[in-house]
Amino acid sequence: MEAATRLQRLLAEDAFAASPDDFDSSILQTKTEYVCPMHPEVVEDEPGSCPKCGMDLVAREAGGDADAGEHDHSGHGHGDHDHGDHDHGSSGFMSMVEVTKDLPRSADGLAMDWLEVPFGPCFPGLPGGLRLTLTLDGDGVTEGQATSLVAMGTPSEEVAVETFIERLAAATPLAPVSYRLLACRAIEQAAGLEPDPAVERGRAAALERERIASHLGWLAQLGRQLSFVWLTRRAAALQLETQRADGEQLVVLRPALQALIARLEHTPLLKARLKGIGALPHGSQDLRGPVARASGRTEDARQADAMYCELGFELYIEGAGDAWARFRQRHVEIVTSLDLVEAAGDPELPKLRAIDSPSGTGEATVETPRGRSTLQLTLERGQVVSVELDGACRQHIGLAADLVEGQELGDALVAVGSLDLSPWEVSS
Amino acid sequence: MTVAIVLLTLLVGAWLLAVIEAWLTTGRLRPVAPLLAGLSHLGRESILARKPDRLFFETAPVLLLVVAVLGAAVLPLTPDLVIADLATGALFLNAVLAYVLVSLIMAGWGPNGAYAMIGGWRFLGQLIAYSMLIVMPITATAMRAESLLNSVIVESQAGLWNIVYQPLGFVLFFIAAMALAFRSPFDLPTAPGELAGGVDAEYTGVRLTVLRLARLVMLITLSAATTVFFLGGWQGPLLPPWAWSLIKTLAVAVSMLLVGYYLPRIREADLLGWCWKFGIPLALLNILIVGLLILVVP
Repeated sequence: MEAATRLQRLLAEDAFAASPDDFDSSILQTKTEYVCPMHPEVVEDEPGSCPKCGMDLVAREAGGDADAGEHDHSGHGHGDHDHGDHDHGSSGFMSMVEVTKDLPRSADGLAMDWLEVPFGPCFPGLPGGLRLTLTLDGDGVTEGQATSLVAMGTPSEEVAVETFIERLAAATPLAPVSYRLLACRAIEQAAGLEPDPAVERGRAAALERERIASHLGWLAQLGRQLSFVWLTRRAAALQLETQRADGEQLVVLRPALQALIARLEHTPLLKARLKGIGALPHGSQDLRGPVARASGRTEDARQADAMYCELGFELYIEGAGDAWARFRQRHVEIVTSLDLVEAAGDPELPKLRAIDSPSGTGEATVETPRGRSTLQLTLERGQVVSVELDGACRQHIGLAADLVEGQELGDALVAVGSLDLSPWEVSS
Repeated sequence: MTVAIVLLTLLVGAWLLAVIEAWLTTGRLRPVAPLLAGLSHLGRESILARKPDRLFFETAPVLLLVVAVLGAAVLPLTPDLVIADLATGALFLNAVLAYVLVSLIMAGWGPNGAYAMIGGWRFLGQLIAYSMLIVMPITATAMRAESLLNSVIVESQAGLWNIVYQPLGFVLFFIAAMALAFRSPFDLPTAPGELAGGVDAEYTGVRLTVLRLARLVMLITLSAATTVFFLGGWQGPLLPPWAWSLIKTLAVAVSMLLVGYYLPRIREADLLGWCWKFGIPLALLNILIVGLLILVVP
């Protein structure tokens, strides 16, 4: 209380007002020094020429550059790339050495402005709904991150089983048959139904047909990314035909599919474009589907399925782990799936078998075109009350950061594209 | 009159190539579509990017068109149908084509956008790859003609076209011309799947129309140059000279579009590596072979 009273008195007496004696006039004094535009370490008090390169020294205020190079890259807020921010200086000469001397350097040793550039969610070379944010140093990528803007959420309300199946299929537009099958199997298990071999054969054929169509869709996407118009058109046309085909029509399509694959294997420039790009360590953990198998992992949910054993399923492992290996892995899987459809018969869209209003818990796993997906759910009187879904791309989306770092932009995008990410199959 | 005929030919050629390009891409033959697309662009808003370098942004598309037309001005369609048959025509073409780089750097820098800027810088790297492969094969054709007059270079092929006399030079020039015209698989500056259009990305409306027209005219100019330097220009039986020039030019342009249709985009590092490690030695070998042929064959 006494201190407060004292402070009030001092303020009233204007005790803290600045007086002329307090002012340090030396801070207004400036000193001009002369520096070489190409050799910042050359600083002279007088005009002249650089002893190293002979260029005329340019004037600057002493100490004036101390803060000039302190660009804050913590937020990488350079996406604007504003021309107006570059101060060309009164001398009219912008030294790149000075401009870049304090900037961080990327793998190639060159220092440039870092730009944080968004690729997606609507970008021609990437799947819709995927946002890839890359920090670019020239056309080199220093770091990146992929996020899904359409990731699946957990249902917040009870829904009828039929509604749940339709919603799950609609929420995964790149693999609706696979997720429909996943939901049917989980619900049927919760209801205590045993698998019906006849039904399962039709379902397996539908799943393999979707796998062929999905891999063709990925090839079309690769074509769009690489401006390979013939591939885009051919793969997209075959994808549509495959999606609509029954068992016999798929047999008719086989030569066309094999011709496409054979041609791609020998297309000039394509191998050079993919080989060695986006390499994942051999046998990397947490990988699924073709990405895992192309990296040497024997990861395939179909191996544990008795139906697939009956159909003569054999696992193929490519192993090299790069984009070319993933490309070839999908080629082989297209042919394998054609064999499986031929053995299984006509594809049947998965439909829920007749059940009453069961209660219980069920779990199912399906090898979707992008990898294993698992669904756990709980039923109460025919209503789905809780759901836990492990989507096929949950782990893969996190790989993008490692794959793009230090790559040239084109290679980085090929690496991410080769993962065949489906942003809908990522659990939020 | 000559100027009007050449300009009209370039416009009709641009329309024809746009129709063929759309046919390859969409599978539909729609002759009126390029005209409608051009008109619709004229009616659309020309969006200006935030904080652009206005001078570069506005000038780049026009400069590219001017460069393409200036290049065509020294290429003879017939012995008499050439805007300027310069004594240094072959050299002039090289000099003019250097401004394609200037235009693309301006188009990259001008809009103040990352995609465009990377596209512009990419073309700078591309120039380092292709430029020697433009100059050196032309040098070999001038050696045979003992002249830089483009009409004399055509006449020098009266007995044997350069595509047969120096096939290596033709292949190298054809590839380099595609890279110069930044057509697929050398579309690194535009790269729709990597840069969402690159140097084209920020252009809309009238500016985009001019840019696309310039790209098509550039393709015609480089196809005409290939015709003049390697395919005997206007020479051929039965048909009039102008018809041969147009047929050959169109054939080269369509073959460039077809090559791009069946190939994926090359990696920039591979383009630079292959051009310098293989292209330039082969171009020097071509000059050596042509020199020996000139000395040995009467």
